[in-house]
Amino acid sequence: MRRGTALSVLALTVAALVASPTDASARRAKKKKAPARSRTAAAASFDPRLPILGTKLAEFPAGPAKAVADQACLACHSVDIVGQQRLTEKQWGAELTKMAGWGADFPADRREELLGYLVKNFGPDAAPWEPVVTRPTGR
Amino acid sequence: MKKTPESVDVVSMDRRRFLALAGVAALVPGAALSAVTDSIPIARRRMLQLNGYAIDAETPLDALTTYLTPNDLFFVRHHWNPQYPGHKGWSLTVDGEVERPLRLTAQDLRRLPRTTVTCVLQCAGNGRALYNPFVPGVQWKYGAVGNARWTGVRVRDLLEQAGMKPAGRHLHTFGSDRPPVRTPPFHRSVEIEKIMADAIVADEMNGEPLPALHGGPARLVVPGWAGDHWTKWLERLSVASEAQKGFYMETAYRYPKVPGAPGVPVPPAETRPVTELFVKSNVTEAPARARVGAPALLRGFAFSGTPDVGRVEVSDDDGQSWQPADLDPQHDPWAWRLWSFRWSPKAAGRSTLYVRATDGAGAVQPREAAWNPSGYLYNGWHSASIEVDA
Repeated sequence: MRRGTALSVLALTVAALVASPTDASARRAKKKKAPARSRTAAAASFDPRLPILGTKLAEFPAGPAKAVADQACLACHSVDIVGQQRLTEKQWGAELTKMAGWGADFPADRREELLGYLVKNFGPDAAPWEPVVTRPTGR
Repeated sequence: MKKTPESVDVVSMDRRRFLALAGVAALVPGAALSAVTDSIPIARRRMLQLNGYAIDAETPLDALTTYLTPNDLFFVRHHWNPQYPGHKGWSLTVDGEVERPLRLTAQDLRRLPRTTVTCVLQCAGNGRALYNPFVPGVQWKYGAVGNARWTGVRVRDLLEQAGMKPAGRHLHTFGSDRPPVRTPPFHRSVEIEKIMADAIVADEMNGEPLPALHGGPARLVVPGWAGDHWTKWLERLSVASEAQKGFYMETAYRYPKVPGAPGVPVPPAETRPVTELFVKSNVTEAPARARVGAPALLRGFAFSGTPDVGRVEVSDDDGQSWQPADLDPQHDPWAWRLWSFRWSPKAAGRSTLYVRATDGAGAVQPREAAWNPSGYLYNGWHSASIEVDA
Protein backbone atom coordinates (compact mmCIF):
# COMPACT_ATOMS: atom_id res chain seq x y z
CA MET A 1 0.00 0.00 0.00
CA ARG A 2 2.97 2.28 0.59
CA ARG A 3 3.64 2.29 -3.13
CA GLY A 4 0.03 3.26 -3.85
CA THR A 5 0.24 6.15 -1.41
CA ALA A 6 3.57 7.26 -2.82
CA LEU A 7 2.17 7.17 -6.34
CA SER A 8 -0.88 9.23 -5.34
CA VAL A 9 1.35 11.86 -3.76
CA LEU A 10 3.55 11.79 -6.83
CA ALA A 11 0.56 12.26 -9.14
CA LEU A 12 -0.57 15.26 -7.07
CA THR A 13 2.91 16.78 -7.16
CA VAL A 14 3.11 16.36 -10.91
CA ALA A 15 -0.42 17.72 -11.33
CA ALA A 16 0.54 20.81 -9.31
CA LEU A 17 3.53 21.39 -11.57
CA VAL A 18 1.92 20.82 -14.91
CA ALA A 19 -1.40 22.52 -14.16
CA SER A 20 -1.55 25.84 -15.94
CA PRO A 21 -1.76 28.88 -13.67
CA THR A 22 -4.97 29.69 -15.52
CA ASP A 23 -6.43 26.62 -13.76
CA ALA A 24 -6.12 28.37 -10.44
CA SER A 25 -7.42 31.66 -11.77
CA ALA A 26 -10.34 29.85 -13.40
CA ARG A 27 -11.19 28.20 -10.06
CA ARG A 28 -10.96 31.55 -8.29
CA ALA A 29 -13.17 33.11 -10.95
CA LYS A 30 -15.75 30.34 -10.43
CA LYS A 31 -16.00 31.13 -6.72
CA LYS A 32 -17.06 34.70 -7.44
CA LYS A 33 -20.80 35.20 -7.66
CA ALA A 34 -21.05 36.43 -11.23
CA PRO A 35 -17.84 36.07 -13.22
CA ALA A 36 -17.94 38.16 -16.36
CA ARG A 37 -18.31 35.87 -19.37
CA SER A 38 -15.52 37.59 -21.30
CA ARG A 39 -13.11 37.26 -18.38
CA THR A 40 -13.75 33.54 -18.07
CA ALA A 41 -13.22 33.09 -21.78
CA ALA A 42 -9.95 35.03 -21.64
CA ALA A 43 -8.70 32.81 -18.79
CA ALA A 44 -9.21 29.58 -20.74
CA SER A 45 -6.26 29.22 -23.10
CA PHE A 46 -6.98 25.54 -23.64
CA ASP A 47 -9.91 23.14 -23.72
CA PRO A 48 -10.68 22.59 -20.01
CA ARG A 49 -12.22 19.17 -20.76
CA LEU A 50 -8.73 17.83 -21.47
CA PRO A 51 -6.96 16.08 -18.60
CA ILE A 52 -3.91 17.57 -16.90
CA LEU A 53 -0.68 16.00 -18.17
CA GLY A 54 0.30 13.04 -16.01
CA THR A 55 -3.12 12.47 -14.42
CA LYS A 56 -4.77 10.10 -16.90
CA LEU A 57 -3.02 6.81 -16.34
CA ALA A 58 -3.75 3.64 -18.32
CA GLU A 59 -3.96 0.20 -16.66
CA PHE A 60 -2.26 -2.96 -17.82
CA PRO A 61 -4.67 -5.29 -19.66
CA ALA A 62 -6.38 -7.98 -17.60
CA GLY A 63 -4.62 -11.32 -17.35
CA PRO A 64 -3.04 -13.66 -14.82
CA ALA A 65 0.29 -11.77 -14.99
CA LYS A 66 -1.22 -8.28 -14.61
CA ALA A 67 -0.33 -8.15 -10.90
CA VAL A 68 3.27 -9.19 -11.70
CA ALA A 69 3.51 -6.46 -14.35
CA ASP A 70 2.02 -3.90 -11.93
CA GLN A 71 4.60 -4.78 -9.29
CA ALA A 72 7.53 -4.96 -11.70
CA CYS A 73 6.92 -1.81 -13.73
CA LEU A 74 4.76 0.79 -12.03
CA ALA A 75 7.04 1.84 -9.17
CA CYS A 76 9.19 3.74 -11.68
CA HIS A 77 7.00 4.52 -14.71
CA SER A 78 3.46 4.49 -16.01
CA VAL A 79 1.85 1.82 -18.22
CA ASP A 80 2.15 4.17 -21.23
CA ILE A 81 5.81 3.50 -21.91
CA VAL A 82 5.21 -0.28 -21.90
CA GLY A 83 1.95 -0.03 -23.84
CA GLN A 84 3.54 1.80 -26.79
CA GLN A 85 6.25 -0.84 -27.38
CA ARG A 86 5.77 -3.46 -30.12
CA LEU A 87 8.55 -5.92 -29.38
CA THR A 88 9.34 -9.48 -30.33
CA GLU A 89 9.80 -12.14 -27.65
CA LYS A 90 13.56 -11.74 -27.96
CA GLN A 91 13.34 -7.95 -27.52
CA TRP A 92 10.96 -8.22 -24.55
CA GLY A 93 13.35 -10.75 -23.00
CA ALA A 94 16.21 -8.26 -23.33
CA GLU A 95 14.04 -5.52 -21.78
CA LEU A 96 13.15 -7.75 -18.81
CA THR A 97 16.82 -8.57 -18.23
CA LYS A 98 17.76 -4.88 -18.36
CA MET A 99 14.91 -3.82 -16.09
CA ALA A 100 15.57 -6.60 -13.57
CA GLY A 101 19.15 -5.36 -13.39
CA TRP A 102 17.88 -1.83 -12.80
CA GLY A 103 15.67 -3.00 -9.92
CA ALA A 104 12.34 -4.11 -11.43
CA ASP A 105 10.70 -6.18 -8.71
CA PHE A 106 9.30 -9.50 -9.98
CA PRO A 107 9.79 -13.10 -8.76
CA ALA A 108 12.27 -15.05 -10.89
CA ASP A 109 9.83 -17.95 -11.12
CA ARG A 110 7.23 -15.71 -12.78
CA ARG A 111 9.55 -14.23 -15.41
CA GLU A 112 8.31 -16.53 -18.21
CA GLU A 113 4.70 -15.72 -17.37
CA LEU A 114 5.46 -11.98 -17.44
CA LEU A 115 7.35 -12.36 -20.72
CA GLY A 116 4.40 -14.18 -22.32
CA TYR A 117 2.02 -11.48 -21.07
CA LEU A 118 4.14 -8.68 -22.56
CA VAL A 119 4.52 -10.48 -25.91
CA LYS A 120 0.79 -11.24 -26.06
CA ASN A 121 -0.31 -7.67 -25.31
CA PHE A 122 2.56 -5.59 -26.70
CA GLY A 123 4.01 -7.76 -29.46
CA PRO A 124 4.69 -6.72 -33.07
CA ASP A 125 1.09 -7.36 -34.16
CA ALA A 126 -0.70 -5.50 -31.35
CA ALA A 127 -3.10 -2.71 -32.33
CA PRO A 128 -1.59 0.79 -32.78
CA TRP A 129 -1.01 2.78 -29.59
CA GLU A 130 -2.34 6.31 -29.19
CA PRO A 131 -1.01 8.93 -26.77
CA VAL A 132 -3.30 10.69 -24.27
CA VAL A 133 -4.26 14.19 -25.43
CA THR A 134 -3.79 16.57 -22.50
CA ARG A 135 -3.82 20.26 -21.63
CA PRO A 136 -0.70 22.36 -22.15
CA THR A 137 1.69 22.28 -19.21
CA GLY A 138 2.06 25.04 -16.65
CA ARG A 139 4.56 27.74 -17.36
CA MET B 1 7.26 13.79 -0.35
CA LYS B 2 6.48 16.71 1.97
CA LYS B 3 8.19 18.83 -0.67
CA THR B 4 4.87 19.34 -2.47
CA PRO B 5 4.31 22.89 -1.12
CA GLU B 6 7.82 23.83 -2.31
CA SER B 7 7.00 22.50 -5.76
CA VAL B 8 3.79 24.50 -5.89
CA ASP B 9 5.76 27.52 -4.76
CA VAL B 10 8.04 27.19 -7.77
CA VAL B 11 5.04 27.47 -10.08
CA SER B 12 3.50 30.43 -8.29
CA MET B 13 6.83 32.24 -8.10
CA ASP B 14 7.36 31.67 -11.80
CA ARG B 15 3.92 33.13 -12.38
CA ARG B 16 4.68 36.24 -10.32
CA ARG B 17 8.00 36.75 -12.06
CA PHE B 18 6.38 36.13 -15.41
CA LEU B 19 3.83 38.86 -14.74
CA ALA B 20 6.65 41.23 -13.78
CA LEU B 21 8.57 40.31 -16.92
CA ALA B 22 5.49 40.67 -19.10
CA GLY B 23 5.52 44.38 -18.28
CA VAL B 24 9.11 44.62 -19.49
CA ALA B 25 8.33 42.52 -22.56
CA ALA B 26 5.71 45.05 -23.66
CA LEU B 27 8.49 47.64 -23.89
CA VAL B 28 10.90 45.47 -25.85
CA PRO B 29 10.10 44.90 -29.53
CA GLY B 30 10.05 41.21 -30.38
CA ALA B 31 9.82 40.14 -26.76
CA ALA B 32 6.05 40.18 -26.42
CA LEU B 33 5.81 36.44 -26.02
CA SER B 34 2.25 36.32 -24.80
CA ALA B 35 1.21 37.52 -28.25
CA VAL B 36 3.09 34.58 -29.76
CA THR B 37 1.34 32.18 -27.41
CA ASP B 38 -2.06 33.64 -28.15
CA SER B 39 -1.58 33.24 -31.90
CA ILE B 40 -1.98 29.47 -31.53
CA PRO B 41 -5.71 28.65 -31.58
CA ILE B 42 -7.14 27.15 -28.39
CA ALA B 43 -8.16 23.95 -30.19
CA ARG B 44 -4.49 23.30 -31.02
CA ARG B 45 -3.19 24.11 -27.54
CA ARG B 46 -2.72 20.61 -26.22
CA MET B 47 0.00 18.04 -25.56
CA LEU B 48 0.39 14.36 -26.38
CA GLN B 49 1.27 12.33 -23.30
CA LEU B 50 3.65 9.48 -24.11
CA ASN B 51 4.40 8.65 -20.50
CA GLY B 52 2.21 9.62 -17.54
CA TYR B 53 5.20 9.35 -15.15
CA ALA B 54 8.09 9.98 -15.54
CA ILE B 55 6.59 12.62 -17.84
CA ASP B 56 7.21 12.44 -21.56
CA ALA B 57 4.98 14.60 -23.75
CA GLU B 58 5.31 15.87 -27.30
CA THR B 59 3.75 18.87 -29.03
CA PRO B 60 1.28 18.24 -31.85
CA LEU B 61 2.77 19.53 -35.11
CA ASP B 62 -0.12 21.94 -35.69
CA ALA B 63 0.87 23.79 -32.50
CA LEU B 64 4.47 24.25 -33.69
CA THR B 65 3.60 27.14 -35.97
CA THR B 66 5.39 30.02 -34.23
CA TYR B 67 9.05 31.05 -34.32
CA LEU B 68 9.26 30.70 -30.54
CA THR B 69 7.51 27.69 -29.06
CA PRO B 70 5.53 28.76 -25.97
CA ASN B 71 6.84 27.24 -22.74
CA ASP B 72 3.53 25.57 -21.93
CA LEU B 73 3.50 23.83 -25.31
CA PHE B 74 7.16 22.82 -25.30
CA PHE B 75 7.83 19.07 -25.25
CA VAL B 76 8.72 17.49 -21.90
CA ARG B 77 11.18 14.63 -21.50
CA HIS B 78 12.00 13.23 -18.05
CA HIS B 79 14.04 10.09 -17.55
CA TRP B 80 12.49 9.52 -14.14
CA ASN B 81 10.51 11.42 -11.56
CA PRO B 82 12.80 14.33 -10.72
CA GLN B 83 13.21 15.99 -7.36
CA TYR B 84 12.48 19.52 -8.53
CA PRO B 85 15.11 21.59 -6.73
CA GLY B 86 13.18 24.86 -6.46
CA HIS B 87 15.09 28.14 -6.16
CA LYS B 88 15.55 28.25 -2.38
CA GLY B 89 18.80 26.63 -1.39
CA TRP B 90 19.70 25.77 -5.02
CA SER B 91 23.28 26.29 -6.09
CA LEU B 92 25.55 25.41 -8.99
CA THR B 93 29.00 24.03 -8.26
CA VAL B 94 31.87 24.34 -10.74
CA ASP B 95 34.79 22.09 -9.82
CA GLY B 96 37.21 19.45 -11.13
CA GLU B 97 40.24 20.64 -13.14
CA VAL B 98 39.92 24.29 -12.03
CA GLU B 99 42.06 26.58 -9.88
CA ARG B 100 39.15 28.10 -7.91
CA PRO B 101 36.00 25.97 -7.52
CA LEU B 102 32.79 28.03 -7.57
CA ARG B 103 29.48 27.70 -5.80
CA LEU B 104 26.82 30.00 -7.25
CA THR B 105 23.30 30.64 -5.99
CA ALA B 106 20.47 31.57 -8.37
CA GLN B 107 21.09 35.23 -7.43
CA ASP B 108 24.85 34.91 -8.08
CA LEU B 109 24.09 33.53 -11.53
CA ARG B 110 21.81 36.45 -12.35
CA ARG B 111 24.55 38.97 -11.43
CA LEU B 112 26.97 37.59 -14.03
CA PRO B 113 27.06 38.91 -17.63
CA ARG B 114 23.98 37.60 -19.44
CA THR B 115 23.64 36.21 -22.91
CA THR B 116 20.76 34.93 -25.03
CA VAL B 117 20.65 32.28 -27.73
CA THR B 118 17.57 31.39 -29.76
CA CYS B 119 17.83 27.78 -30.84
CA VAL B 120 16.12 24.47 -31.35
CA LEU B 121 15.96 21.87 -28.62
CA GLN B 122 15.23 18.43 -30.04
CA CYS B 123 15.20 15.12 -28.20
CA ALA B 124 17.74 12.74 -29.77
CA GLY B 125 14.90 10.22 -30.15
CA ASN B 126 12.41 12.52 -31.89
CA GLY B 127 10.92 10.50 -34.76
CA ARG B 128 11.87 7.10 -33.31
CA ALA B 129 8.31 5.87 -33.96
CA LEU B 130 8.82 6.48 -37.68
CA TYR B 131 11.65 3.96 -38.04
CA ASN B 132 11.01 0.52 -39.48
CA PRO B 133 11.76 -2.02 -38.09
CA PHE B 134 10.42 -0.91 -34.70
CA VAL B 135 12.93 0.54 -32.25
CA PRO B 136 12.27 0.20 -28.47
CA GLY B 137 12.05 3.41 -26.46
CA VAL B 138 9.75 6.41 -26.13
CA GLN B 139 7.74 6.43 -29.36
CA TRP B 140 8.21 10.08 -30.27
CA LYS B 141 6.76 11.00 -33.65
CA TYR B 142 7.25 14.63 -34.68
CA GLY B 143 6.88 16.92 -31.68
CA ALA B 144 9.83 16.29 -29.34
CA VAL B 145 11.24 19.53 -30.69
CA GLY B 146 10.77 23.24 -30.10
CA ASN B 147 12.48 26.57 -30.65
CA ALA B 148 13.07 28.91 -27.70
CA ARG B 149 15.00 31.93 -26.56
CA TRP B 150 17.35 30.74 -23.81
CA THR B 151 18.99 33.29 -21.52
CA GLY B 152 21.68 32.79 -18.93
CA VAL B 153 25.42 32.78 -18.47
CA ARG B 154 28.11 31.54 -20.87
CA VAL B 155 29.75 28.40 -19.49
CA ARG B 156 33.01 29.82 -20.87
CA ASP B 157 32.69 32.75 -18.45
CA LEU B 158 32.14 30.38 -15.52
CA LEU B 159 35.16 28.27 -16.46
CA GLU B 160 37.34 31.36 -16.92
CA GLN B 161 36.22 32.66 -13.52
CA ALA B 162 37.05 29.26 -12.00
CA GLY B 163 40.42 29.12 -13.77
CA MET B 164 40.17 25.99 -15.89
CA LYS B 165 43.43 24.03 -15.97
CA PRO B 166 45.01 22.97 -19.29
CA ALA B 167 44.10 19.34 -18.52
CA GLY B 168 40.40 20.16 -19.00
CA ARG B 169 39.06 18.41 -22.11
CA HIS B 170 35.51 17.46 -21.09
CA LEU B 171 32.81 19.04 -18.96
CA HIS B 172 30.93 16.51 -16.82
CA THR B 173 27.37 17.65 -16.13
CA PHE B 174 25.17 16.62 -13.21
CA GLY B 175 21.48 17.33 -12.60
CA SER B 176 19.59 16.82 -9.36
CA ASP B 177 17.35 14.06 -10.75
CA ARG B 178 18.12 10.77 -9.07
CA PRO B 179 17.35 7.42 -10.71
CA PRO B 180 15.15 4.84 -8.98
CA VAL B 181 16.55 1.65 -7.42
CA ARG B 182 19.60 0.49 -9.45
CA THR B 183 18.94 2.48 -12.64
CA PRO B 184 22.19 4.13 -13.76
CA PRO B 185 22.40 7.90 -13.16
CA PHE B 186 21.97 10.29 -16.07
CA HIS B 187 25.54 11.54 -16.02
CA ARG B 188 26.82 13.12 -19.18
CA SER B 189 29.77 15.09 -20.52
CA VAL B 190 30.39 17.44 -23.43
CA GLU B 191 33.71 18.15 -25.20
CA ILE B 192 35.26 21.35 -23.88
CA GLU B 193 35.60 22.87 -27.39
CA LYS B 194 31.82 22.88 -27.85
CA ILE B 195 31.27 24.14 -24.30
CA MET B 196 33.72 27.04 -24.76
CA ALA B 197 32.25 27.92 -28.16
CA ASP B 198 28.62 28.50 -27.29
CA ALA B 199 27.13 26.54 -24.35
CA ILE B 200 25.21 28.46 -21.71
CA VAL B 201 23.70 27.78 -18.31
CA ALA B 202 20.15 29.01 -18.91
CA ASP B 203 17.81 30.15 -16.16
CA GLU B 204 15.30 31.80 -18.49
CA MET B 205 13.23 30.36 -21.32
CA ASN B 206 11.38 32.74 -23.63
CA GLY B 207 11.75 35.58 -21.13
CA GLU B 208 10.29 33.62 -18.21
CA PRO B 209 12.15 31.89 -15.38
CA LEU B 210 13.06 28.42 -16.68
CA PRO B 211 10.07 26.22 -15.71
CA ALA B 212 10.79 23.30 -13.39
CA LEU B 213 9.40 20.90 -16.02
CA HIS B 214 12.14 22.09 -18.37
CA GLY B 215 14.99 21.88 -15.88
CA GLY B 216 14.60 25.00 -13.72
CA PRO B 217 16.25 26.67 -11.87
CA ALA B 218 18.91 26.14 -14.55
CA ARG B 219 19.83 23.80 -17.38
CA LEU B 220 22.61 23.47 -19.89
CA VAL B 221 21.95 24.76 -23.41
CA VAL B 222 24.16 23.30 -26.15
CA PRO B 223 23.09 24.99 -29.41
CA GLY B 224 22.74 22.65 -32.37
CA TRP B 225 23.26 19.50 -30.32
CA ALA B 226 20.64 16.94 -29.33
CA GLY B 227 18.76 17.28 -26.04
CA ASP B 228 20.73 14.59 -24.17
CA HIS B 229 23.52 17.16 -23.72
CA TRP B 230 21.16 19.78 -22.26
CA THR B 231 21.29 18.58 -18.63
CA LYS B 232 18.25 19.73 -16.64
CA TRP B 233 18.07 20.73 -12.94
CA LEU B 234 21.78 21.47 -13.24
CA GLU B 235 23.65 21.36 -9.93
CA ARG B 236 27.28 20.65 -10.82
CA LEU B 237 29.71 21.17 -13.70
CA SER B 238 33.01 19.38 -13.30
CA VAL B 239 35.99 19.81 -15.62
CA ALA B 240 37.86 16.58 -16.40
CA SER B 241 40.51 15.24 -18.72
CA GLU B 242 38.36 12.29 -19.83
CA ALA B 243 34.76 11.90 -21.00
CA GLN B 244 32.22 10.74 -18.44
CA LYS B 245 31.62 6.99 -18.18
CA GLY B 246 28.40 5.08 -17.61
CA PHE B 247 25.29 3.78 -19.38
CA TYR B 248 24.17 7.15 -20.72
CA MET B 249 27.57 7.80 -22.32
CA GLU B 250 28.78 4.34 -23.33
CA THR B 251 25.54 2.56 -24.32
CA ALA B 252 22.76 5.10 -24.80
CA TYR B 253 22.83 8.19 -27.01
CA ARG B 254 25.20 6.63 -29.51
CA TYR B 255 24.86 6.54 -33.29
CA PRO B 256 26.57 4.19 -35.77
CA LYS B 257 29.74 5.64 -37.28
CA VAL B 258 28.50 4.08 -40.52
CA PRO B 259 24.77 3.28 -40.49
CA GLY B 260 24.12 -0.30 -41.58
CA ALA B 261 21.16 -2.34 -42.74
CA PRO B 262 17.82 -1.73 -40.97
CA GLY B 263 17.30 -4.05 -37.99
CA VAL B 264 20.94 -5.10 -37.69
CA PRO B 265 22.62 -4.45 -34.29
CA VAL B 266 25.77 -2.29 -34.21
CA PRO B 267 28.64 -3.12 -31.79
CA PRO B 268 29.45 -0.27 -29.32
CA ALA B 269 32.96 0.14 -30.79
CA GLU B 270 31.36 1.09 -34.11
CA THR B 271 29.29 3.89 -32.62
CA ARG B 272 29.92 7.54 -31.73
CA PRO B 273 28.01 9.90 -29.41
CA VAL B 274 24.96 11.64 -30.85
CA THR B 275 25.97 15.30 -31.16
CA GLU B 276 24.81 17.69 -33.93
CA LEU B 277 21.22 17.57 -35.12
CA PHE B 278 20.66 16.46 -38.71
CA VAL B 279 19.05 18.79 -41.24
CA LYS B 280 15.28 18.35 -41.06
CA SER B 281 11.99 19.95 -42.03
CA ASN B 282 8.37 19.30 -41.14
CA VAL B 283 4.96 20.36 -42.41
CA THR B 284 2.86 21.92 -39.65
CA GLU B 285 -0.12 23.15 -41.64
CA ALA B 286 -1.62 21.93 -44.91
CA PRO B 287 -5.23 21.79 -46.09
CA ALA B 288 -6.85 18.34 -46.27
CA ARG B 289 -8.61 19.38 -49.51
CA ALA B 290 -7.84 21.79 -52.34
CA ARG B 291 -9.24 22.67 -55.79
CA VAL B 292 -7.53 22.62 -59.17
CA GLY B 293 -6.29 26.11 -59.95
CA ALA B 294 -6.79 27.45 -56.41
CA PRO B 295 -3.50 27.82 -54.51
CA ALA B 296 -3.17 25.84 -51.27
CA LEU B 297 -0.89 27.13 -48.50
CA LEU B 298 1.53 24.81 -46.70
CA ARG B 299 3.62 25.91 -43.72
CA GLY B 300 6.27 24.35 -41.55
CA PHE B 301 9.69 24.66 -39.94
CA ALA B 302 13.21 23.55 -40.84
CA PHE B 303 16.45 23.40 -38.85
CA SER B 304 19.90 21.88 -38.69
CA GLY B 305 22.72 21.45 -36.18
CA THR B 306 24.89 23.09 -38.84
CA PRO B 307 23.83 26.72 -39.26
CA ASP B 308 21.88 27.94 -41.10
CA VAL B 309 18.97 26.49 -43.07
CA GLY B 310 19.79 27.56 -46.62
CA ARG B 311 16.87 26.16 -48.58
CA VAL B 312 13.49 24.49 -48.13
CA GLU B 313 11.85 22.86 -51.13
CA VAL B 314 8.59 21.12 -51.91
CA SER B 315 7.93 18.36 -54.45
CA ASP B 316 4.54 17.29 -55.80
CA ASP B 317 5.96 14.61 -58.10
CA ASP B 318 7.52 12.15 -55.64
CA GLY B 319 10.85 13.96 -55.49
CA GLN B 320 11.43 14.21 -59.26
CA SER B 321 11.45 18.02 -59.18
CA TRP B 322 11.52 20.59 -56.38
CA GLN B 323 10.17 24.10 -55.99
CA PRO B 324 11.58 26.56 -53.45
CA ALA B 325 9.50 27.47 -50.38
CA ASP B 326 9.52 31.01 -48.96
CA LEU B 327 11.64 31.40 -45.83
CA ASP B 328 10.43 33.59 -42.97
CA PRO B 329 12.81 36.53 -42.33
CA GLN B 330 13.25 35.59 -38.64
CA HIS B 331 16.26 33.42 -38.07
CA ASP B 332 19.17 32.70 -35.74
CA PRO B 333 22.04 30.28 -36.39
CA TRP B 334 20.67 27.23 -34.54
CA ALA B 335 17.03 28.24 -34.52
CA TRP B 336 14.43 26.83 -36.81
CA ARG B 337 13.27 28.70 -39.86
CA LEU B 338 9.58 28.91 -40.60
CA TRP B 339 8.70 28.34 -44.25
CA SER B 340 5.59 28.60 -46.39
CA PHE B 341 4.72 27.31 -49.83
CA ARG B 342 1.86 28.21 -52.13
CA TRP B 343 0.96 25.14 -54.15
CA SER B 344 -1.17 25.26 -57.29
CA PRO B 345 -2.86 21.89 -57.82
CA LYS B 346 -2.94 20.97 -61.52
CA ALA B 347 -5.02 17.78 -61.49
CA ALA B 348 -7.80 16.24 -59.44
CA GLY B 349 -7.07 13.29 -57.15
CA ARG B 350 -4.88 12.65 -54.13
CA SER B 351 -1.48 14.37 -54.08
CA THR B 352 1.43 13.84 -51.74
CA LEU B 353 3.66 16.86 -51.18
CA TYR B 354 7.13 16.19 -49.79
CA VAL B 355 9.32 18.80 -48.10
CA ARG B 356 13.10 18.75 -47.72
CA ALA B 357 15.65 21.18 -46.27
CA THR B 358 19.29 21.93 -47.12
CA ASP B 359 21.63 23.42 -44.49
CA GLY B 360 24.51 25.90 -44.65
CA ALA B 361 27.04 23.12 -45.22
CA GLY B 362 25.05 21.76 -48.15
CA ALA B 363 23.65 18.70 -46.34
CA VAL B 364 20.33 17.73 -47.91
CA GLN B 365 17.56 16.05 -45.93
CA PRO B 366 17.33 12.44 -47.18
CA ARG B 367 14.16 10.66 -48.30
CA GLU B 368 14.75 7.88 -45.77
CA ALA B 369 16.44 8.47 -42.41
CA ALA B 370 19.27 6.03 -41.71
CA TRP B 371 17.88 3.32 -39.42
CA ASN B 372 19.92 2.94 -36.24
CA PRO B 373 19.46 0.59 -33.26
CA SER B 374 18.31 3.30 -30.81
CA GLY B 375 16.20 5.25 -33.29
CA TYR B 376 18.01 8.58 -33.01
CA LEU B 377 17.98 11.69 -35.22
CA TYR B 378 15.15 10.73 -37.58
CA ASN B 379 15.10 13.17 -40.50
CA GLY B 380 13.37 11.47 -43.42
CA TRP B 381 11.19 13.56 -45.74
CA HIS B 382 7.91 14.67 -44.22
CA SER B 383 4.83 14.93 -46.40
CA ALA B 384 1.27 16.23 -46.56
CA SER B 385 -1.50 14.38 -48.35
CA ILE B 386 -4.05 16.62 -50.07
CA GLU B 387 -7.27 15.58 -51.84
CA VAL B 388 -7.70 17.78 -54.90
CA ASP B 389 -11.19 18.38 -56.30
CA ALA B 390 -11.71 19.23 -59.95
